[in-house]
Amino acid sequence: MLWLCIQFPKLPLEVLTRAQRDGAQSSPQAVVEEQLIVDANNPAAERSVETGLTIATACALCADLQLLQRDTQREEQQLQQLAQWGYSFTPVVSPLAAGSVDAGDDHFACLYLELSGCLKANGGLQPLLQQLKRELRQMRISCFMGLGHSPSTARMLSQLPEHRQWLAETQAPPSPQQWKQWISFSPSKLLDCDHKTIAKLYACGIKRVSQLLAIPLSEVGSRFGRGFVDYLARLSGTRHDPVPSYQPPPEFHSELFFPSPLDNSEQLLFPTGRLVRELCQQLQRRQLYSHQLRWKLDFGQRGCKVFSVEVSRPMLDPQRLIALTKLQLERIRLEQPIQALSLTCDQLLPLEQNKLDDDLFGRETRVQRSHQLLDKLKARLGHEALSGVTLKESYLPEQAWASADTLVLQSSRSKKGHQLQPIKAPRPTWLLPRPDKLQSRAHKLFYRGEIKLLQGPERIDGYWWQHGRHGRDYYLARGEEGGLYWVFQDLTSEDWYLHGVYG
Amino acid sequence: MSNAENLLQNNQLADQSRQQRLSQLLARPDIWQAANEHKRQRGGIASGYATLDALLAGRGWPRGATTELLVDRSGIGEISLLLPALAELTQREQMVVLVNPPFIPYAPALAAAGIQLEKLLILHPRGQKDELWAMEQSLQSGCCGALLSWQGSRAPADKDLRRLQLAAREGDCLHFHFRPQSTATAPSPASLRLSLSSDGEQLAVQLLKQLGGQSGQRLHLSRNTDLTRRDRPLH
Repeated sequence: MLWLCIQFPKLPLEVLTRAQRDGAQSSPQAVVEEQLIVDANNPAAERSVETGLTIATACALCADLQLLQRDTQREEQQLQQLAQWGYSFTPVVSPLAAGSVDAGDDHFACLYLELSGCLKANGGLQPLLQQLKRELRQMRISCFMGLGHSPSTARMLSQLPEHRQWLAETQAPPSPQQWKQWISFSPSKLLDCDHKTIAKLYACGIKRVSQLLAIPLSEVGSRFGRGFVDYLARLSGTRHDPVPSYQPPPEFHSELFFPSPLDNSEQLLFPTGRLVRELCQQLQRRQLYSHQLRWKLDFGQRGCKVFSVEVSRPMLDPQRLIALTKLQLERIRLEQPIQALSLTCDQLLPLEQNKLDDDLFGRETRVQRSHQLLDKLKARLGHEALSGVTLKESYLPEQAWASADTLVLQSSRSKKGHQLQPIKAPRPTWLLPRPDKLQSRAHKLFYRGEIKLLQGPERIDGYWWQHGRHGRDYYLARGEEGGLYWVFQDLTSEDWYLHGVYG
Repeated sequence: MSNAENLLQNNQLADQSRQQRLSQLLARPDIWQAANEHKRQRGGIASGYATLDALLAGRGWPRGATTELLVDRSGIGEISLLLPALAELTQREQMVVLVNPPFIPYAPALAAAGIQLEKLLILHPRGQKDELWAMEQSLQSGCCGALLSWQGSRAPADKDLRRLQLAAREGDCLHFHFRPQSTATAPSPASLRLSLSSDGEQLAVQLLKQLGGQSGQRLHLSRNTDLTRRDRPLH
C-alpha cells in the first residue's frame, strides 16, 4: 500500500477567493470564525495577521483588513470536488474535512489517495506527483503532500519538512526501512493527538517518536490510554488503518457562470460544448451513461429556463450530444440575458458491454442510425410530434388502437407474452379522430355526394353495462366518386356517422 | 524519370480518373442508357400488384426516389396500393415514417395487412419548415424503408421537392408523396408520378411520368373483394 496525503492548508480562504483575479489579492484578507482568524492571505500575513488571533487584535495590526466569514459548506463541496478529481487518478480515495475551531481541533482538510495501483498508468511516482501538483495549481489550491504506508503515516510525514524535501526529488517509492527512519525521526508534536497528550509527551521528555517507540507498549498504554497505543500501532503498520472510502455521487452537475450575461443563443454553443465534454470525460472514466441531459439557463433575478435532451441509447460521443443540444437551443427564444448555464444528469447508469453505440471501428448499424434519427427528431420537433400505434384489446373500434410511445417502437419484438391479433373483419385504414355526422335526407345518406350502403350491418354493442352505451350498426358504403367509407348508425339516437375511410 | 515518361503516366492517370467519373455518372439512377436496358432489372420494391410492376421500369416502386401520387379524395384505395410494399419493408425491420397523415392510421387494419406496427413512426411536425426538415432527415438517415408524406395547405417549392428527391436517393428510401390532382400540370422532379382516381368500382392508375421508362399508360386495379362485395339487402 502506498498512501498519499494531500493537505489543503489554505482551503477556507481559497474557496472564497478562488474566483478573484490575481490583482485582487493585494488587499489583505482574512477568514474568521467565532471571532478568531482562521486563515489570512499573504498581504495580511506580512503584517503578522495569523491564525488564532482575535478579530480585535488582527484589526489593530492591520486596519484595512477585509474579514470574510468562513463557509464550511462551501469547503465541504470543494473537498468533494477534489475527491472527484482524485478519483480520476485512483479508485481508492478518502476525503477528510477540516476540524472546526470551537472543537479545539485545527487540522487542515486533506485527501488520501492510494497510489500503488495507478503508478504504472501515470508513468511512475514522480510524473504522477508532478501532475497532481500542476492540476492543483491550475485549480488555484495550495497543498502539501506526504507519502506513507498507511494514511496516518502519510498524514504525519506530510508535516515533516525533510520528508517533503525528499518527496520533491524522489523517483521511486521508499523502502520500509526509510519509512521507519522517518517515523522515528519525526518530532512528537506531529503526532495526531490532542494538545494535552502532546504536552504530556514533552513533559516526559519525549521529543522524538523514536524515544516513544523505545518505551514498552504496555507502559505507553497505561500512561496515555489505549487509543494512543492503537494510533502508534497504525503508525508503525502493525495494525490496519481504515479510512472511509469515497464513492462518487451517481449524478453529474456542472455550472458555468458568465461574468457578462449572454443575450444570444449562438454564444451559448461554446460553453455548451465545454460542459458536454466535461460530462463525457467523466462518464467515460466511470463507465456510466445518462438518458437525459438537463440544461438550465439561469437569467439571474428573472428566473430560469430548463430544457432536457433525451438520448435513447448510451452515447459517449460529445459531438453528437452537442448536436442534439444545438437542435434544442435553436427552438428556444431568449427573452433575457443568460447569467449562468448548468448541466445536470440525475441518473447515471452503468454502461453494459456491447450496449455502447459505436463498435471498435465506428461503424453504425441500422438500429443505431434509427436511434440517432429518433433522438434528432425528438430534439427538434418535441416529444409530442412523434408517435407510434399499437393494437389494444377492445370491442369498440376507436379503442382498438392506442398511440404508442416511440421508445416501444424500437425495442426488438418480444415474442413472449400475449400477442394481440387484429380482428378478421375488414377494417378501414384511416380512422377519423371522432365520428363525423352524416347528412341524411329521405332515407339517403350524403357525404360529399350520396353514399350507398354495400355491406352490413355489423353490430358492435359495447359497454352496455357502463354509463355511456355504445350501440352501433356498422356498414360499408360507397360514395359517388368511388370512395369506400365505414359508416355507422347509432342505435340510440338513430343518427348516421362516418367513422373510417378505406384508403 | 524523363519528361516523356512523366507525361505518359499523367495521361494514364487522367484517363483512369475520367473513366472513374464516367462510371460514377452512369451509375446514377436517373441516367437512362438504351444500351444497358437489359441490365436495368435492378430491383424496385415489388408493389404487390403484378400488372403495376410490369409497367414500372424497375419492376416495382423505384428505390431511393420520390414517387408522387396525385389523389384528390381519400377512400379510393390509395393506401391499399402501397400496403403490400410497406408490409414487406417493415417485416425486413425497416422503419416506415408517415408525415402528417390526414387521419389516424388505424392499427387493426394495418396489422391485418401484415405491417409490423412497432416499425411505424408517425410524425406531426408543426409548420412547413419543421416538416421539410423532418422529412429530409428521415429520408437521409438510411434507416427508413419508406416515407409517406401528405402535402399540407402550402405546396412545397420546387427546390424543396428536389432536395427531398436527393435525400431519398442518399438514404435509399422510398418516398411516397401525396399531392392533389391540380399539381399534375406543374413540373416536378419526382422519378415517378401516378395519378390515382376511381372509376366507380376500381382504382384507376395513370402513369404521368416515369424516369427511365414509358409513361402515359392507364391501369385499373380492382379493390379487395371483401370490400366491394355487395350484400343482399335485408329489406
